[in-house]
Amino acid sequence: MSLAASIARRAGRRALSSVPALFGVIVFTFLLMRVLPGDPAVFFASGPNAGQAEIQMIREQMGLDKPMPQQLLLYLRDIATGNLGRSMNTGQPVVADLINRLPASLELTFTALLLALSLALPLGILAALRPNSLVDHGVRFLCSLGVCVPTFVSGLLLIYAFYYILGIAPDPTGRLDVFASQPPVVTGFILIDAAIAGEWESWWAAASQLVLPASTMALFVLAPLARMTRAAMLAVMTSDFVRTGEALGLSRRRVVLVYALRNALLPVITIMGIVFSTMLGANVLVEKVFSWPGVASYALDALLTSDYAPVQGFVLLMAFIFVLVNLTIDVLYGLADPRVSIE
Amino acid sequence: MKLNRRHLLAGTAAVATAPYLGGRAEAQTRAETLRYVTGAAVNTLDPTMPGATREAFGVSVNVYDRLVSFGRKQRNGNWVFDIDTIRGEIAEKVDVSPDGMTFTFHIRKNAKFHDGTPVTAADVKWSYDRAVSARSLAAAQIGTGSWTKPEQFTIVDTHTVVGKIDKPDRLALPNLCTLYAIVFNSALVKKHVTPQDPWGQNWTKDNTAGSGAYTVESFKPGEQVILRRNDAWTGGVDGKPAPFRRIICQTIPEAATRASLIEKGDADLSIDLQPSDIDTLVARGRVKAISTPQFNAFSMIAFNTKMPPFDNKKVRQAIAAALPYDSLFKAGLFERGAKLYGGTWSGTPTDASFPQPMPYKQDVAKAKALLAEAGFPNGFETFFAFNLGSAAFAEPIAALVKEALAAINIRVEIQKLPDAQISTMVTERKLPFFIETSIAWLPSTDYFFRTFLYGPQRWNYSGWNDERIADLAGKARFETDKAKYDATCKEMIAIMAEETPIVMLWQPNQDAVMPKNIDGYTYGYHRQVDFRDVKRT
Repeated sequence: MSLAASIARRAGRRALSSVPALFGVIVFTFLLMRVLPGDPAVFFASGPNAGQAEIQMIREQMGLDKPMPQQLLLYLRDIATGNLGRSMNTGQPVVADLINRLPASLELTFTALLLALSLALPLGILAALRPNSLVDHGVRFLCSLGVCVPTFVSGLLLIYAFYYILGIAPDPTGRLDVFASQPPVVTGFILIDAAIAGEWESWWAAASQLVLPASTMALFVLAPLARMTRAAMLAVMTSDFVRTGEALGLSRRRVVLVYALRNALLPVITIMGIVFSTMLGANVLVEKVFSWPGVASYALDALLTSDYAPVQGFVLLMAFIFVLVNLTIDVLYGLADPRVSIE
Repeated sequence: MKLNRRHLLAGTAAVATAPYLGGRAEAQTRAETLRYVTGAAVNTLDPTMPGATREAFGVSVNVYDRLVSFGRKQRNGNWVFDIDTIRGEIAEKVDVSPDGMTFTFHIRKNAKFHDGTPVTAADVKWSYDRAVSARSLAAAQIGTGSWTKPEQFTIVDTHTVVGKIDKPDRLALPNLCTLYAIVFNSALVKKHVTPQDPWGQNWTKDNTAGSGAYTVESFKPGEQVILRRNDAWTGGVDGKPAPFRRIICQTIPEAATRASLIEKGDADLSIDLQPSDIDTLVARGRVKAISTPQFNAFSMIAFNTKMPPFDNKKVRQAIAAALPYDSLFKAGLFERGAKLYGGTWSGTPTDASFPQPMPYKQDVAKAKALLAEAGFPNGFETFFAFNLGSAAFAEPIAALVKEALAAINIRVEIQKLPDAQISTMVTERKLPFFIETSIAWLPSTDYFFRTFLYGPQRWNYSGWNDERIADLAGKARFETDKAKYDATCKEMIAIMAEETPIVMLWQPNQDAVMPKNIDGYTYGYHRQVDFRDVKRT
């Protein structure tokens, strides 16, 4: 059987087996939101003369006047038809909001992850090759620094230095300068859309907007990636096949980059999957500091106001992405180490 | 066309200069654009939608017109709205009958909606019918001005509408100046009505049908709204279009980022920076701040008069006497506001306006005595709550309250609650006492009492329902004689000072921060920016 067919079969099986988990997530979030203290209808009844009548009106509008089992059934029916409800915070359908915002979060997270990997892998390898040397300590220091400083502090610091003092970074407000022209939306990823449309000025504007928030995020996840690379490399470097390779007189570069690194990559890939999911959902602070119109800050705003539909939609989306990421990781495993089989 | 050398040269020159022309045009646009940054977001284009944010109000003020509007006046050198001068916006003239119960509005002949159709009496009638009948925020508000049913509005001719009320209500006309009494292009909205939605509310959420100074160029809920000037607009005082060609209202959640943007000159206006940052910003000299005490708002500590031991007047008075007002004012607000404590009167106030400084000051001995009288010589345990969203100013205040009350043996636990949770607990009257800031659109004494100190609505934070207030406020509302009105108001203020359902603290400043070349900013009843006033000099 060809590789592609095998991957497709695995993916299909994975997707099918994740249905019960997704269903569980839907029901659980639904119940959780309703158990949390705070009545959204009361919060949104914010008119200057809001009384009981208005609260009741909003309750009906949000469907909260019905008994809870009925609400759940209605919600499940809506999900089946691709309707995740309407957000009170933005006044838009949740699906539309998520479609608008997910590419923003993904674009930021991918860039940050790429940036982090391009730093973490060489640093981790260097540290592993010379354990307890000055280089190793330097890497350890950088990692600790990255992980110790909360993202909103490093974010604000970067803004202060590069925007406020030096004036080289564009103003840290969202994905594109407000005065720049927006490329026509194809994928939602501005870098890709601008490239498709050939609007290189917009591409450049979007890329420069990305640098600071992506660096902030990358700094924060540098530690797990670099440390994991170092640990895995240390283990592999003392193994038999590396010794054999060296004994056979293979070049140092070939031993390290081809034989050792490939074998050391498995745990790094695992951690990469976890880091990616965390970055996507948990980096609310980066999104807030840089006014990034992503899904995480959207979910946080909704949570604060007990706006049920967006929170439920967000959790469902995250669960879905988790399933996808796990699947991708499994496929990457197979590529990194043919011995691994997830059949 | 034949291509010869001359054409080619001209063409090359044009191509070569194009980027520069483009650049100049862009620079010009920047000068004619106002970039307004705020921490909150616009969530609807229809301000009457339940759940509409304050920023949504701000946008609608500039996009829609009302028949009438508030004028403005100078107050301590700053421009503020003036509820006592009412000017025409769509109406060129309002005739009020001698008994104060019939209002005849004459619509300007040249008033036009954004699509070019003229504003007619039918549009006004339809819009007002919508305001009082549709399930929206509007009905409850304009009901406070005795506007409750469609029959009150009649069309006389294409340009004349008459509104009638049963009793001379002081707030009838001011209510029509508020942003709920906007005039819709009824023909346009009617194209989008459905049997379930007879007033087209689903459509107006994302679309506009107004006649105001600006049209909506783009609307990204939660991110930004871009407004473009309506050059045909003549509803202003001078009949000229608004000064700025374009307005960008952008949501920037982080206050520090907003401050940097303004200081760097990349943004032009913000009204919600951290009070602690304003002085340093101004001291650095690149921006100016227009600080206006929000004279139609007040911060308070509200007691739940429905919950023991706060149902006991003496307990409330004891706490009012135990609070370290000056320290609270410094710690929470950096003294950026107007005090509502330390009033020098006792018994009956000398002034009928409200809010005004109430005669509360710190007196620990008196507090102890009052608490003993109330039957709590050894104090009691309770908790003090504040909204997570306002932690920046409420947290130091809570700590000081805890410390001050420990001195009279009241042991206080502090609770930080998220927005929705605290609103729910306030409405269900489950919090013993807490800090809140509230605002009245129509700053008239009887309105404050009707809204904040009597009745079942959420804004009556203390749940205080004194029959005397109901009686007096009801009377004051329809009182046309100024002297009698003032006397009634003073009586209500005296009762409140005695009963202490809430402790008034201060009126926080609204600090509008802008580069030095921005001028004309006016503090509005809605606490938003009326872009029609602002210009670059």
